[in-house]
Amino acid sequence: MWMSVEVNGHIYEREVTEHWTLLRFLREDLELTGTKDGCSAGECGACTVMLNGEAVNACMVLAAEADGATVETIEAEAVDGELSEIQAAFARNYAVQCGYCTAGMVMSVRELLRLNSKPTVAEIKEGIEGNLCRCTGYQQIIEAVLDVSGQINNGTRGGLKYV
Amino acid sequence: MNDVFKYRAPTSRAELFGMLAAHGEGAKILAGGTDLLVDIRSGLVRPELVINLKKVEDFSELAWSQSEGLIIGPATTVNDVLHDAKVRDSYPLLADCALTIASHQLRNRATVIGNIVHASPGADMAPGLLCLGARVQIASQRGQREVPLKDFFTGVKRTVLSHDEIVEAITVPTSTARSRGSYRKLKRIDGHDLALVGVAVTSTDGAVRVGIGSAAPTPLLIEGLTDEDPADAVVAAARDAIRPISDLRCSKEYREYMIEVFVRRLLEEVR
Repeated sequence: MWMSVEVNGHIYEREVTEHWTLLRFLREDLELTGTKDGCSAGECGACTVMLNGEAVNACMVLAAEADGATVETIEAEAVDGELSEIQAAFARNYAVQCGYCTAGMVMSVRELLRLNSKPTVAEIKEGIEGNLCRCTGYQQIIEAVLDVSGQINNGTRGGLKYV
Repeated sequence: MNDVFKYRAPTSRAELFGMLAAHGEGAKILAGGTDLLVDIRSGLVRPELVINLKKVEDFSELAWSQSEGLIIGPATTVNDVLHDAKVRDSYPLLADCALTIASHQLRNRATVIGNIVHASPGADMAPGLLCLGARVQIASQRGQREVPLKDFFTGVKRTVLSHDEIVEAITVPTSTARSRGSYRKLKRIDGHDLALVGVAVTSTDGAVRVGIGSAAPTPLLIEGLTDEDPADAVVAAARDAIRPISDLRCSKEYREYMIEVFVRRLLEEVR
């Protein structure tokens, strides 16, 4: 199918394989490999991207469904080599271990902060419940979200007191 | 997807119904896709044509009217219902059910009607919709018909729908608006998980209804109870209706036990 989709501000017009997922289209056609394929079943959240401004699992959307849509991926976070605020907070709070979940986590945190600029710890946990971190580094991710939303200061960073 | 299929996105009801009539069993409807794409990938279904119905005009509708009540359209997502002011005000039980489904990303895609049409015994929207007396509006090229939700399910992932039919709307009557009641879902973890059991209990003008998921081949509705019935009688009615199995998530006995616990707790809340 011929389609037109805006990804990270660029408009792509091309033939898309009708049975491909948006995830496969992003990674294999557009070579945007920052978005990861974890479970391919909507369980792990590694492939989370923004579709028309809302977070979705790119493995649970057909590429053809994105005809006429706007997509943002992790590649749109850093601008001119400068980390986004969310990425910088992840780095500051050691919220990245192996890094496989990170792209999806950052997308889910962007969605969470879009809907709720000062989430509580419980709301953060709910916001990232669709993203698995197999390094189990959730604590640092939660702290990164508290940090980027201005709810934590340097002196209290790095503990386990928010569990 | 490993399987090759064609994709179409009709923009009118007539076009959609024509495609369904022409392709029969070979066509599958794509709404949220959160069940269909998993089933295609695992080889459970092998459609030759996938029809996206989200581009059909008005199918994203979530409306309310005094005569028809709440009208949920085929492309209305679970998050649309969860965040809708009218739902939160008049049918908060539906928001309860919606919040327990999967994760935020999936709720942005998954549709309420898809949750019902997929007909999983553990469909989280079912116990609430059953208690609230929801009705299913079915349509095809041949015409329209209406079925009470309690008569819609016929078995595990089976419904009264024919291959050329779609559910065009689920309606929830005004008579059950502002019913008291809520939904409890037992999961293995706090986060994203399927239900071990799910129980809704409502009280509407003295009538008590119990909706139960993951306890029989189909979601169950237990009616004919009143606010005067002792808790033991309600529990006995629930025990008579359920037919749980043991599976990888938990044992039959645990399901029976927790259904009783939830029915008692939820009854106390509505009384």
